[in-house]
Amino acid sequence: MKIEIVENSGKKIIGITGDIDMYSSPALRDELMGLIKKKALALCVDLRSVTYIDSSGIATFVEGLKCMKAYGGRLQFCEVPHGILEIFRFSKLDRVFEVYGTIDDAINS
Amino acid sequence: MRDVITIVIPSHPRYLSVIRAVTDRVGQIYEIDEKVVQDVRLAVDEACSNVIKHAYRGDTSQKIILKYSFRPDMLKIVIEDSGLKTQKKSLKGRDLDDIRPGGLGIHFIKRVFDVFEMDDKKKKGNRLMLVKHFCCPDIANISTKSV
Repeated sequence: MKIEIVENSGKKIIGITGDIDMYSSPALRDELMGLIKKKALALCVDLRSVTYIDSSGIATFVEGLKCMKAYGGRLQFCEVPHGILEIFRFSKLDRVFEVYGTIDDAINS
Repeated sequence: MRDVITIVIPSHPRYLSVIRAVTDRVGQIYEIDEKVVQDVRLAVDEACSNVIKHAYRGDTSQKIILKYSFRPDMLKIVIEDSGLKTQKKSLKGRDLDDIRPGGLGIHFIKRVFDVFEMDDKKKKGNRLMLVKHFCCPDIANISTKSV
């Protein structure tokens, strides 16, 4: 798994490539929580190149969301592959995750 | 069940990708529907993650044994470890409406497998039996469950 963080219109975009599993999710958690500790107001996770996600990856995002909500921040997701969207729906996380079609949609929200 | 595919991996999370790759390949060999294979792959990965976390308490020097067997009406996967006994009460996921980190793995296993049972006969460690039924002989390529 690779993580690339870029800034777009004042918003941090977290681009992830590869598999998010029990092996790689601690690195993702470190990156995400590092940004959250700095009280990032809005983060957008670009999932287009994610080939796999398991419950540990999802737990990382749920934890991030809870931490951001505590200070009024927003955790967004964009370009979510169909299979991952299905997992979000099955887990009822589509009710709490902000999911957008494209990065621009997330930025303009 | 004629052919049984057996793999043994170290109980280190880095090898979960090997399990996923083998599961994909087993699905291809038996021409199982890709959507079913994706769900099985996630479920098997979650089951093995649980072995590492709970049965072995993070000890990466142990072994996990997986046995895949297929016939046209079913796919059976047996996962064995020699770690701590799994408590039956821990085989229940959290309420899906209770949004919090963790507790989803069991749901991912149960959503695709029709049988999800610990073999009580195993004295040391655990033997998890997962069975996916296909509704008629030549339709392994048709999902019997959907999200």
